[in-house]
Amino acid sequence: MTDESTPISRKKFLEELRRYEKGSVTRRHFLGVTGLGTAMAVMSGAMPGLVSGRARAQELGDRAVLATWPNYHDPANFDLFTDETGVFTQVNVFGSNEEMLAKLQAGGSGWDVFVPTNYTISTYVEADLIEPLDISKLPNYDAKAFQARFADAGTIDGTVYAVPKNWGTTGIASNSNHTGGVVDSWKSFFDGARDQWTGRAMVHDYQLTTIGNALVYFGHSFNSVAPNELADAEKLLIDVKPHLFAITSDYQPGMRNGDAWLTMCWTGDGKQLNSDMPEIGFALGKEGGEIWSDYYAIPKDAPHREAAYALINYLLTPEVNAREALAHGYPVADSRTNALLPEELLDDPILYPAAERLSALEFGAAATLTDPNRAELMARFKSA
Amino acid sequence: MRLYATAVYLFLYLPIGIIALFSLSAGRSATQLQGISIKWYGRALNNPFVMEALWTSVKVAFVSAVLASVVGTMAALALTGMKGRLRAGFDLMVHVAVMIPGIVIGIATLIALVSVFDIVNPWLEAASGYRLSMGFGSLVAAHGLFTMSLVVLIVRGRMEALDRALIEASNDLGAGSLATFRQVTLPLIAPAILAGFLLSFTFSFDDFIIAFFVAGSETTLPIYVFSSIRRGVTPEINAIGTMVMVASLGLLIVAQLMLRRGDARRQ
Amino acid sequence: MALTQKQTRWLLLTPAGLWYAALLLLPLAVVLIFSFGERNAVGGYAPGFTFEQYANLPARFAAFRNTMTLAPLGTLAALLIAYPLAYFLAVKVSSRWKTTLLVLVIVPFWTSILIRSYAWIFLLGGRGIPALFDWVGIEGVRLINTPFAVLIGIVYGYLPLMVFPIYVALEKLDKQLLEAAADLGTPPWRSFLQITLPLSMPGVLTGTMLVFILLMGEFLIPAILGGGKVFFVGNALVDLFLQSRNWAFGSAVAVALVVIMLIVVTLYGRLARRFSVGRDDVGLM
Repeated sequence: MTDESTPISRKKFLEELRRYEKGSVTRRHFLGVTGLGTAMAVMSGAMPGLVSGRARAQELGDRAVLATWPNYHDPANFDLFTDETGVFTQVNVFGSNEEMLAKLQAGGSGWDVFVPTNYTISTYVEADLIEPLDISKLPNYDAKAFQARFADAGTIDGTVYAVPKNWGTTGIASNSNHTGGVVDSWKSFFDGARDQWTGRAMVHDYQLTTIGNALVYFGHSFNSVAPNELADAEKLLIDVKPHLFAITSDYQPGMRNGDAWLTMCWTGDGKQLNSDMPEIGFALGKEGGEIWSDYYAIPKDAPHREAAYALINYLLTPEVNAREALAHGYPVADSRTNALLPEELLDDPILYPAAERLSALEFGAAATLTDPNRAELMARFKSA
Repeated sequence: MRLYATAVYLFLYLPIGIIALFSLSAGRSATQLQGISIKWYGRALNNPFVMEALWTSVKVAFVSAVLASVVGTMAALALTGMKGRLRAGFDLMVHVAVMIPGIVIGIATLIALVSVFDIVNPWLEAASGYRLSMGFGSLVAAHGLFTMSLVVLIVRGRMEALDRALIEASNDLGAGSLATFRQVTLPLIAPAILAGFLLSFTFSFDDFIIAFFVAGSETTLPIYVFSSIRRGVTPEINAIGTMVMVASLGLLIVAQLMLRRGDARRQ
Repeated sequence: MALTQKQTRWLLLTPAGLWYAALLLLPLAVVLIFSFGERNAVGGYAPGFTFEQYANLPARFAAFRNTMTLAPLGTLAALLIAYPLAYFLAVKVSSRWKTTLLVLVIVPFWTSILIRSYAWIFLLGGRGIPALFDWVGIEGVRLINTPFAVLIGIVYGYLPLMVFPIYVALEKLDKQLLEAAADLGTPPWRSFLQITLPLSMPGVLTGTMLVFILLMGEFLIPAILGGGKVFFVGNALVDLFLQSRNWAFGSAVAVALVVIMLIVVTLYGRLARRFSVGRDDVGLM
């Protein structure tokens, strides 16, 4: 990355960050020098008059409702956005993609921007719940800055419906005090769970990853909906169930108090567990598993569409995005943003695993989300 | 007896003690004590999302509990001693309202209201420039539906067991029905109304699943907390819980002191 | 005030009636219509008229069976723990402290249920109560993610709902009546059986019914304290509406659940009426 595409260099950005952390500059100063000026300059280029702040607010409206994941933003970024545009960002938080989808399907959500994960986007398009994006209103979005695999799912039949935000993986967290090292394959996960780690393993309360990783155990695709392959997965899951500590997506408490020794685990949780308790390691399954990517999108009935575009555009500014990443800790897909982030973050093996480990992983497919057989399998597994 | 009661209160407050303890953690997990710090209190107070959610929850719980207590008590008064088809129909509604699981009533209410709004809004907008949408009102209404039924059941239980002779005597002595109500009935059913109000407030304040659907773009505290699971719940939530607890206990002590002073003055 | 009794009655019932019409009957109609519909290919509801969803109900048999076993058990446990406390609050405590102590029963519930459950995960987990057992020499005690943990969670979570109605029923108990009985040489257990218990029956019935009904739809306690290994109808509903978004089938499950509850509650009411002679209505159907 050259400095031409990043108005502030990594060195300067990090220097300012350190000064801010030491308390020698105010938050406002920090936010100001790390991107506000450039973000607004770019925006005003595309939308004349934006810099005049509140005067513009009439056209943008007074608020934007953002449906997103918890702890996924730096609240200070929203304050700044309000200062500059007069648009107040109201944040709604969600626990899963299916919940988001259910709520949009039921109607009356009132959202302007939401953050779907890759595998749901085509379903939103099919159900006619999502708006094609007018890229000209997002001057800060630079498609070239993103690896194709993190951006592909947002484009369907040549139409861009969503632009990428962050990405992550689903792997295995294990407590090496008890498992004698990092568990790094689904084979040892499921076999160990039935044997030496009986009563100590957890799987997600969530069909995509639980069924998906059971499929991967047999060498099938993570996304398979083939009846004979699902039958394999069902047999394994029913077999392992009596040995499980829990079926839950809320696995941090069990891991932390030592009752559970290993669990299916999302990147962010893996990072949090590992930094608090170094004996808990995180590894991707050798055979494969899930890689995911989150996007920004605008729902069809968004009440404040112009504000929605302004907000997405603002959050895509590399400097703003870098501050977001420092706040939430998830890997960023935008290379312009990565150029601003500290090296140690980019070298973190949990957050940015080596490329060869990633190549075995699969993005979730939309078919798994809507396949009734996978849903029924999950119900049989849980009530067995 | 006293020992037993103490044991039950201990059972009720033991988890609260744990919550308060973990709120002092310096780490970022809500379920582990990692060093001592009060930083999560600062974080909670400075987190606009959390404070707004807390405030929304308090408002919704209070308004819906007041409405549920008033409307529920009115219905309970009318239903007492009533017979016939109207009574049977009302009883059925009261029971079904309590029976439908929250997730079902939540999503069904959302779909029903959105359909109604779609019909009403164009007309309303033309007439007044105002549009109906999901939010504070639908939250209060949906919570109130359930809690009003609780109030009806509890107050009616008390009414049915009351000495009706007392009320009739008062009426016979020429007291108007309003006076009878204020001076005889109301004091007698007051404990039931209070119990109903407290249960209503608590239900609304702690409900996630109905609020999830009908909240529109509002966020209540339970919605915030539940959606945090996927990204790790921090001691911030413990700090809020502890603050709510301390504030309620403080109010309770003040109320108790005032009650005492009132007693002393009367003597 | 020249209102007739009938007019007053209508006036009192109208607000509640309107509330029920708008927020109960309307959504109820949605549920019924959905239950005869179909699942949309991308999830959600697709219009139709079929009995397929009802025919498919046996697919959730295990969930119904689990719920029907643990709900009555949980109700009974809550009653046994709650009754003495309600009795204590209503009869033994001086009137000055009554309200305060009553409110104290419910204040713990003003912290998020999720955080309270986390506290229980800790208390029932390896470093909590089992560690104490360990310390006194009883090893290998496992509490968390067992049906027993679910039962503790139920008793804890539903205590106020049981205590309050019983308290309300007992609160008006005339203490002089008990004293008179004692003066006449009636042993305390007899006056309890003959005076106190019958008087508290309406409260017991309301409390048990409320707790039972809400337990039938419970999903959080089995998910958190049962480790998701105990699957209730409530959990099946949450999965059907939020995860697989099979709203048609979910609606059919919900209708079946409400019908079962109506039958159970009606039978229970009949039974209860037989035991509370001379009372035409005890707060039940």
